Amino acid sequence: MSDSFSRRDFVATVGSIGAVWLLADAAERGEALAHAAHQVQQAQPTLQFFTREQAADVEAFASRIIPTDDTPGAREAGVVYFIDRSLATFLKDQAPAFTDGLTKLSRDVGRKFRGQTRLSALTPAQQDEVLKSIEKTPFFGTMRFATLAGMFSLPTYGGNLDFVGWKLMGQENAMEFRAPFSWYDQPANRRALLGGDA
Amino acid sequence: MTILQGRGQAAPARRFTPDEAVDFVVIGSGTAGGSVARELTRLGHNVVLLEQGKQYTRADFHHDEFATVFNNGYCNTPPSHIQTWRKTPNEKAEPRHYLVYATAVGGSSMHYAANYWRFRPGDFNEFSRKGAVRGAAMADWPITYDELEPYYTAVEWAIGVSGQGGVDPNEGRRSRQYPMPPLDLNGPGVLLEVAAKKLGWRALPAPMAIASRPYNGREACHNCGFCWYFPCEWGAKSGTNFTMVPEALASGRCELRTECKVSSIESDNRGRVTGVVYFDQDRREVRQRASAVFLCANGAETPRLLLMSRSNRFQNGLANSSGMVGKHLMFNGNTGAAAEFEHEVNGYRGAPVTRIVLDTYETHDKGHYGGGGFDFRYPFPPLLSSLNMPPDGPQWGADFKRNLRRLHTRISHCWGHTTQLPQATNAVDLDPEAKDSWGLPAIRVTFKEHDADLKFYKYMFDRGVELLKAAGAVRTWGNPPGDDPGNAVHMLGTCRMGNDPGTSVVNASHRAHDVPNLFIVDGSSFVTSGRGQPTLTIQALAFRAAEHASRMAKRGELG
Repeated sequence: MSDSFSRRDFVATVGSIGAVWLLADAAERGEALAHAAHQVQQAQPTLQFFTREQAADVEAFASRIIPTDDTPGAREAGVVYFIDRSLATFLKDQAPAFTDGLTKLSRDVGRKFRGQTRLSALTPAQQDEVLKSIEKTPFFGTMRFATLAGMFSLPTYGGNLDFVGWKLMGQENAMEFRAPFSWYDQPANRRALLGGDA
Repeated sequence: MTILQGRGQAAPARRFTPDEAVDFVVIGSGTAGGSVARELTRLGHNVVLLEQGKQYTRADFHHDEFATVFNNGYCNTPPSHIQTWRKTPNEKAEPRHYLVYATAVGGSSMHYAANYWRFRPGDFNEFSRKGAVRGAAMADWPITYDELEPYYTAVEWAIGVSGQGGVDPNEGRRSRQYPMPPLDLNGPGVLLEVAAKKLGWRALPAPMAIASRPYNGREACHNCGFCWYFPCEWGAKSGTNFTMVPEALASGRCELRTECKVSSIESDNRGRVTGVVYFDQDRREVRQRASAVFLCANGAETPRLLLMSRSNRFQNGLANSSGMVGKHLMFNGNTGAAAEFEHEVNGYRGAPVTRIVLDTYETHDKGHYGGGGFDFRYPFPPLLSSLNMPPDGPQWGADFKRNLRRLHTRISHCWGHTTQLPQATNAVDLDPEAKDSWGLPAIRVTFKEHDADLKFYKYMFDRGVELLKAAGAVRTWGNPPGDDPGNAVHMLGTCRMGNDPGTSVVNASHRAHDVPNLFIVDGSSFVTSGRGQPTLTIQALAFRAAEHASRMAKRGELG
């Protein structure tokens, strides 16, 4: 835990989980981030980088990281569009490595399920089996980080559609909050916890 | 230039020519430099304020975690900022993005969490009180708490600090109450109150450099929660970008030049500095003449610039006859433990910290040298939070999703903030090979934790877990820090103050021992590390240094 959240450490956490996402040139990236956000505001989601088949595999993968149940998951959040747009714009230099990862994924699918090449063609249980077999690989780490980034970054980046990611976590999107902020700082609860010291 | 924030009315832009010897060039517009510029202009001096980063306004800020946290928005990043790192002096340093600091008007005060603890009197003479520690270069400060107290008060009122004096029985003498009451108590704050009560400790209202009431024309905090590591969308954070720098500009005596990267401080054969050389926005080299220079570039960039400013007279680097420039790098220790609570804590609402516990400020009787304090907080925005779910639990799939849904609003951390010992081998210097995008030598960091500190971090981590349990945690997780922290902030100690020119870089007035018209003030001035919240002390030192320099300039002692 020490290496996962203190002020000194949090960037390292990010780095170790999503290193490949942090290698782009920072100065260029700033402009590209804005460019990407602008494009999303302009248009209905369309694929800019992935082929349809690749997009289906990426979406299948992301949907196993955060599945859809009674609440929206990575699919409904549009995570695939976040990743697609990233690779088309501010992470362009990492696109070849990502494509390689998808090619290897097809081979992994084939090794587990003869005759298959597409993760998206498998059942969810079969998809989980494939993901478990590659859980320790850098590509899995990248896909997990990319899924979470797409789920929880601002919708302007293409994912987190209608803030479904934030809603899932219970994070209200507001510019202002007023006390009480939580169960604990409601005066009656605080009094009950602290007695005469409240 | 339009003044965007602060009490001053917009003054006509002041412009100086490079050939005109301005009274002071101030290098860096952060906590120290922004304050020095404001104080010097208030005292009647002309100032050129150089900042390597850009100037942002409130309208530039947003809830964009992906840009701000994950793409190091506003901070030093390659290729403009290159660093190398090694643990010990006989290793070859490898490229590593290790030190993190904002490069923008306001420096790191533009995105700080804004914990504004004063030092206690005993922080200034820990060496005399406790004696030597093997492997550490302990020393007393050349000033006392009482000498600094008027400047602590001046800073608290100048920028706007919220807090409640007089409730901490161990605080130093205070000449004036805080200008504003504490910020609204939030969920983690109540949990810390509960924990402290159970352990027989005391939860104190946190002193924070965030306005709890409208202050000097700025908005009060709206509790939006995007605070720790984010610049303030309301202008309620009292960083120098919203306070000191606009006031310096409003004086009509200050010119701010942004995106200017200083490459050297020049000196003449009498050993006086004559001005600075920098690359402007278009990477053209400019030579600005000055009667005196204030170096306030932070605990890493300050020693680097001195070491880059070699001359025939100063072959070891400027102001470095002692060989102490860059030595004794300290960061403060940080411990973190996490816990799940039964009800919603909603740490993402309100100020990052609303209560603190300082009962571990002195731990000599427990066999430790230093000390520290605690807060409860959970300022992690959604993406960072999702990456920090309990490590022994599921990291993907339906159960992971259940954790995200339940825990984001129910986690509180306990963060410990501690001393860190000064060691001569921990240092910032120039990498012999690596260069940044200006072609300037990269910062090389050499850093290894002291065993006594590692032992103390473990002590603090364990107390943190106890606090979380005492607060009613359903479960806790985490580990004490190991000897390689991923990243570091709070760069301290690298141009230490002292009375002896043989063992320190600046004197008690922050004047370089070797150079009568060069002043150095920022985290580099620290002799010892304090208890983990250095920013108010940096700012009080800056106010004091500016006053001393002004007095000397008016007496004609800087020529």
